[in-house]
Amino acid sequence: MAFPARLAIGVLLMTAMAAVSPQSVDKGPIFTKDGSLVLPSGFRSWVFIGGPITPNGLNDGAAPFPEFHSVYIERENLRYYQKNGKFPEGTVLVKELSLAQAGEHSDGSLDSASGRGYFPSTLSGLDVMVKDSKRYSKTNDWGFFTFGHHAEPYESTAKESSQCAYCHVANVAKTDMVWVQYYPLLKSKID
Amino acid sequence: MRKILLVVILGLGVAAASSLSRYSNPVAADSSQTTAVFDSDGKMRLPVGYRRWVFIGAPLTPNALNNGKANFPEYHHVYVEQKNLDAYLKTGVFPEGTVIVKELTRVLNPTFPDGSRSEPSGRGYFNGEYNGMDVTVKDSKRFAATNGWGFFNFGHHPLPYAESAKEASVGECAGCHIAYVAKTDMTWVQFYPILRDGDKTK
Repeated sequence: MAFPARLAIGVLLMTAMAAVSPQSVDKGPIFTKDGSLVLPSGFRSWVFIGGPITPNGLNDGAAPFPEFHSVYIERENLRYYQKNGKFPEGTVLVKELSLAQAGEHSDGSLDSASGRGYFPSTLSGLDVMVKDSKRYSKTNDWGFFTFGHHAEPYESTAKESSQCAYCHVANVAKTDMVWVQYYPLLKSKID
Repeated sequence: MRKILLVVILGLGVAAASSLSRYSNPVAADSSQTTAVFDSDGKMRLPVGYRRWVFIGAPLTPNALNNGKANFPEYHHVYVEQKNLDAYLKTGVFPEGTVIVKELTRVLNPTFPDGSRSEPSGRGYFNGEYNGMDVTVKDSKRFAATNGWGFFNFGHHPLPYAESAKEASVGECAGCHIAYVAKTDMTWVQFYPILRDGDKTK
């Protein structure tokens, strides 16, 4: 190929990337060549849909997901779900964990000015699920990834985890593999 | 070949430019300093679109751990706009016009006396229905008497919330914020990981 043509293709690619980047920077999953998922970015600007909390103090000191679970989804995928009752291909759900502030009660709760309860302290981990019916056909179209249950920084990539899918298949296969009953925005059509 | 490529490049360039302008328009339109809207009598209108703002944390004060009647029942989902969060992370104070929304939800059907329930992910608390909204607005002139922040309660009950709210009395809201968190811009920043530690993913 002549040099000008290669240069032109280079410019073309850069232009194409520039055209997509303003909206695509936070969109969809990114995989490495070996099928690992790249740590999502920008997810804290996505829509928060709910925050279960499983305190260590109520789970023999070692909750499987310690302790707050803040769950985020991109807005267009939320809208699609609210309209169609299922998530579109390429949907990424991010569950970021944070520990609760250490409280004086045996259940781990804390007395605060606003009442007794649980209050987030440090971020403590990230789990992600990705809908891709071809890649993850064996696990009801969803792949599961953990980027570590520890303080930041999280892992930069994660391999698909076989530990997660079983519980989702057993409990929530009928609701697109998601515990939709925990998330007010998934149960309603409000904005 | 080169001519075709040139045409394609120009075409993509135009597409890129129009794409950029399309996505920058909402920001340009949103150039006002605050999203708080006040009626002529000083009542604040119910904020809209706040569930698309940045979620910064969710304290939980279950009724069952508060003699059956928590002051803020029960989850407190707190949202702030990206531009105001960014300014806070840069300067340590919220800019004029900042609106912070706290939306409440109940906990999902309790089965234990402490209000918790057991689910496959463990014993704990899970979001139930939406249950109310409180808002703080930073405006150092309008709310000079309460450290630059005004406090509004749009009801502690299921949707729909009140369409507007008058400023809450010092005894209802501001007094407690002044007593406890006057030094951290009237906000319990210690309960919000991003406010306290920054957003390291960006």
